[in-house]
Amino acid sequence: MPPRRELVISAADSDSDISFPDDDYDASRDKGKSKGKGRAEKKKVDKGKGKAKDSQAYTWEASYTRSWETVQEDEAGSLQTSVQELMARGRRKRLLAPAAAIRRTIIRHVILLLDLSSAMLDRDMRPTRFDLMLQYAREFILEWFDQNPLGQIGVVGMRAGLGERIGDLSGESGNPQEVLSYIKERHKLEPTGEPSLQNAIEMAKASMSHLPTHSSREIIIIFGSLTTCDPGNIHETLETCVKNKVRISVVALAAEMKICRELSDKTGGQFGVAMNEGHFKDLLFELVPPPAQRALTRTMGAPSASLSADLMMMGFPTRLPEASAPTLCVCHAELKSQGFLCPRCLAKVCDVPTDCHVCGLMIVSSPHLARSYHHLFPVKPYDAVPNLEDIPQPSDACHGCAKLFPMTTSIPIGEGVSVVGRYRCPDCRHDFCSDCDVFVHEVIHCCPGCGK
Amino acid sequence: MSHLSVVLDLPPAQWHRSARHDPPLALPDFLSHVLVFLNAHIANNAENSLAVFGAFPGTSPLLYSSADPVPARLPIDSNSYPSFVHLDHAVARRVTAVLDSLGTDRAPEPSALVGAITKALCYVNRLAISPSSAAPAEHVLPDPRLLILSVSPDLATSYIPIMNSVFSAQKLKVTIDVCQVFGPDTVFLQQAAHLTGGSYIHLERRDALLQYLIMAFLPPPPIRKVLAVPTQDKVDFRAACFCHKNIVDIGFVCSVCLSIFCQPVPVCSTCRTKFPIKTLQRLNQSRPLLPSTPRSTSPKSSPGTPAGARTAPTNGANLARSISTPNELPHSSNIGSRNSNGRSHSMGGSVTNPGPSEAPR
Repeated sequence: MPPRRELVISAADSDSDISFPDDDYDASRDKGKSKGKGRAEKKKVDKGKGKAKDSQAYTWEASYTRSWETVQEDEAGSLQTSVQELMARGRRKRLLAPAAAIRRTIIRHVILLLDLSSAMLDRDMRPTRFDLMLQYAREFILEWFDQNPLGQIGVVGMRAGLGERIGDLSGESGNPQEVLSYIKERHKLEPTGEPSLQNAIEMAKASMSHLPTHSSREIIIIFGSLTTCDPGNIHETLETCVKNKVRISVVALAAEMKICRELSDKTGGQFGVAMNEGHFKDLLFELVPPPAQRALTRTMGAPSASLSADLMMMGFPTRLPEASAPTLCVCHAELKSQGFLCPRCLAKVCDVPTDCHVCGLMIVSSPHLARSYHHLFPVKPYDAVPNLEDIPQPSDACHGCAKLFPMTTSIPIGEGVSVVGRYRCPDCRHDFCSDCDVFVHEVIHCCPGCGK
Repeated sequence: MSHLSVVLDLPPAQWHRSARHDPPLALPDFLSHVLVFLNAHIANNAENSLAVFGAFPGTSPLLYSSADPVPARLPIDSNSYPSFVHLDHAVARRVTAVLDSLGTDRAPEPSALVGAITKALCYVNRLAISPSSAAPAEHVLPDPRLLILSVSPDLATSYIPIMNSVFSAQKLKVTIDVCQVFGPDTVFLQQAAHLTGGSYIHLERRDALLQYLIMAFLPPPPIRKVLAVPTQDKVDFRAACFCHKNIVDIGFVCSVCLSIFCQPVPVCSTCRTKFPIKTLQRLNQSRPLLPSTPRSTSPKSSPGTPAGARTAPTNGANLARSISTPNELPHSSNIGSRNSNGRSHSMGGSVTNPGPSEAPR
């Protein structure tokens, strides 16, 4: 396959273009397998040197895990017990989770810092790091807005030693399409030159300087290079980030760099080196749910580091039907029949959430707020019913889905699993099957028996 | 094939009121309309599945599910389809049983609509994860639907559970249809239908219930795209505040946990966050600048009272209008009145207050 070979050769070429500050790299690379694998090999070496904390192996190091051998059949040849054991593990994990509501910063402002240096042309992740980053960034933005409907995202690129503003914090929050349009045109983002962390962070910081104190400021860096080319002392930039409560998280594609680790450690962010394509996505998507504020405070040590809270006035609009008479909207001055009416001044805006263009009231639709409420009021974990003897009149069917309970008792599997297949709500004393138990706690967040 | 879950809202007090209202729709008539509709659904396709839940005060039992075993002794009638007889008997028998068991001495509780909705979702989830033995293993549930026939006004305490159910319905790809048979529009169910792509109908001609049901709710969602199904006009995106459970259109929101309050508070009751005193002063100052609604002209009084005072006359006006112009398209009168009269008139129509509505019980 000629195209395939060409691919490998060019990967090797681009690899050799990069100069390494450390001679160890070259030595270890030459010892390594093929030239095309050089980049991967180098990562491994660096990783091993930097820290031995990560126990998970890289793709090329992993040995086969015989996953089929861990599954045990019971006497009847059924896999039921294994499945139940898996579910029991999930249940126990949930029970360990803190029951109290933790504070989360829900109104988030994030600047996505994309590495557009020539290191991103490397092909150790298919098709290239650059293309993969764009693809995951798009998915990330969609998912992020789904979970943080009140947030805003801006995009800054690092290329040719400069920070480059690709898109400002979206004016209308909660609009993923606008952010997606920033990174839509691939040819405008073509990687070149060296990255500059300092320049890019300074630029990201400047575009967040106007934000109110109660909203979070976060920088998410996707970094593929192993060098940074800075005009000044980057540690001073780091100090100002800490002072301004900017949270920096880094997803590195190549290897761990001390400055990246320091950036995220000192600002309370997360740091991770992607081992492969799937892990890259996992690392990025770990940054989607709103960060718990407690974690931030603990890392920083000082209580003053937590964001100051504030009470905000918000309006809940009325949506006009598609069939209503068209009127001018205040945001684009276009004739439209759809729209939302500001509850304070009755101005018509096209989309929510936004700030009313006339009276400045923050207009959100209440489902945007309600999406985060299950963080605040979690359902109490159900108790596994150990046996049927203590129950005066056992119900014969699940209170949720009306599935009949098994009449026989199964083999005891472990703590957290009921042998009679019943899980009881501590408040309303109704019994549920294990499927409903999982569904109620992970999806609905509302007990069908208590209704709250 | 398609799955339909139906939630029947059956609080006796509200149905008593409905029977005496003009035009009357008593519970037996309602049930006969609904049973014809349910028969039509199972007759549409032999594989159609059905589950009926009842929302009674304090309890929400499953009335019928197509997975139920057919009882051995059914009244034999050579002129009727056995499935219809089974369905009709099961629903009628269980509704009567629950209504009898409720008794009269019980203090009137609101109907357990949330319980019924969450159970309906659990049922859909059960169908989705464990395919019935007859179906092949790769069986996926096609467009499950949830139809809520509601007669109760909004219950502000159920705001969060209803929204949680709506989001899980979105995840399960369940379409929620709502038919408000009696009483004022419910803001929460409107939002539920809007967010899941279903339709919300506020019944204008209550004697024509069956026709509404057949025309709007019988076709499954994919077919509705080619039909002219009544769409919602305006959707009210108001929320219930956490402190007094009032339904507010301008609220004060904690920046940490997004709890909604109807007035500036010094400490968030949910996450115990303290708010700066400057903000409180600023917000208190800006409050009287709200437009001239009854609420904002008397900010010192308890927030429940003016809303309640406003509800009674507006409800009457709305109902009177719907009676006098029965031939108009649903809701078309509301749109006009909104633009000309401003907000207090049309928005007040759906504000509900437990105070006056409980008085006649």
